[in-house]
Amino acid sequence: MAAILEPYIYEGGIHKHSLITELLEDLGGYLIQKVPAATEVTLVMLIPRDDVHLIEELGKKLLGKLTRAPLTGTEIAVVSPTLASHHLPHSACDIAEFMRRGGANTNMIGLARGMGRRVSLSDNYERKLINEHDFALFSFGTFSDCIKNKKPKLLEGITIPKIVTGGPCNLKTEDVANADLYVGNIGRVAHRLRKSDELGALDVLLEKVVEVVEKMREDIAKDPLAVLPARVMKEIHEQIPDIFNVLSPAPVTLQLDGLRVKLPYGEFHKKVENLEFDEGLKLSDMAVITPSKMKNYILVKIKRESEVGFTA
Amino acid sequence: MEALETFIVESTVQEEGEAYRSIVSDIITELILGGAIGRIKVVVRPEDSLFQMAIILRGSQPMVKLSDIGSVETGNIVKKEVKISITEEKYLSELLELLWARYGRTKVFQPERNTLIINAEDTDSDIKFLKDMVVADPRRTLQSRLVEMAIRATPEGFRVRYHSMDSHKFVFVASEDPLKPEWIQEAHQMVTELMEEK
Repeated sequence: MAAILEPYIYEGGIHKHSLITELLEDLGGYLIQKVPAATEVTLVMLIPRDDVHLIEELGKKLLGKLTRAPLTGTEIAVVSPTLASHHLPHSACDIAEFMRRGGANTNMIGLARGMGRRVSLSDNYERKLINEHDFALFSFGTFSDCIKNKKPKLLEGITIPKIVTGGPCNLKTEDVANADLYVGNIGRVAHRLRKSDELGALDVLLEKVVEVVEKMREDIAKDPLAVLPARVMKEIHEQIPDIFNVLSPAPVTLQLDGLRVKLPYGEFHKKVENLEFDEGLKLSDMAVITPSKMKNYILVKIKRESEVGFTA
Repeated sequence: MEALETFIVESTVQEEGEAYRSIVSDIITELILGGAIGRIKVVVRPEDSLFQMAIILRGSQPMVKLSDIGSVETGNIVKKEVKISITEEKYLSELLELLWARYGRTKVFQPERNTLIINAEDTDSDIKFLKDMVVADPRRTLQSRLVEMAIRATPEGFRVRYHSMDSHKFVFVASEDPLKPEWIQEAHQMVTELMEEK
């Protein structure tokens, strides 16, 4: 049985940070994302639960900070009915930023024809793209009438959990048809969210999102994945060196039940399918590999133990 | 009339009106319209997909001529130069654009921050022309900023729009459905009420 992994973010100086990554590798943890910025570095990682204190101690010596990041390994779609330039800055931008601080990878999706009331609609392609994520955060506006009566049609056809944010704080989740959770106090504003009540509302949102993610993780744990997405990521790094030429900030993006590999499908899908594991298995035995709706990327969805009959 | 002496935003639900007021005030700040608007009333009725806005502007500023922001005189007579000394730097970039367009970049020099030298053909007539040249027209930029404000403040998707600008009265109505004549009338009524205040 593999050790239980805990998600953490390390923020510290770039000097000697490789000591952390080396220790992490020795402990059997996974480095999910490394973001160097001038003399600082941010490491998003999964650490075996019993060994967290070792990394913490080393981090302290290096004058860095280790914080728990409960959303690590999730890919969130932050959907706004519109991302029109004359309405910038959108509150959806701040929502996405807050989710990233929790360790998540976010994709902003602005619907082509999502604005308005009667005229608002979503495209089949957009729905498929949103459905590739772990869950979707819909950022709606100020008016409860719109959120109750007109906007829920944008949630139709979305099969992943849907969290809705909006201005009115007296709305309940039941009032918004098709939504799994409604969080108020985050409506349309024409400035960056920086006042204390706005930041407080974002904290509440993050808290509730974490609850949803924990619940999803529990559901997955009942019938575990055939292989950990983080382990697949490690194998991709070792067996497909072309991944290091990808300039995207997260060349391999982890999801709760799979991953997105940011390499062209046509050229690389065979290599991903034939990824070998120590147990003598190939990735195609344990996962469904399809072209992603996002650009020309590869989408890997890992099968469950009940389907495959074993866990690697 | 004081700046923003009346600032009303109404909606069917009172709290939503207050939230929308913060959006409108952010946009006014961003477009630096605070000093130009005297009274403003916005009504949003989401159930009818209706947005109405009435604005009374404060007295508009006159056009800015070159003689208002600096002096124009003869420079070196042999070289047929015209010398412009700027006292208000605020309009320098607009002035340079105009001079470049008229004389070409090779004939306009800026030996130091507030001085411009132009190689002119006929110094006397050029000096006469330059003194009366309009450098900036606050009324025109104000109008374009007002339109920008109306577009930004409208809920996204309300693409059917009506506007009317009559000296210092601005009326704007937007919806996603064809506009009803009574909505436009209501907006005009709003602007009249604003005028009659106090």
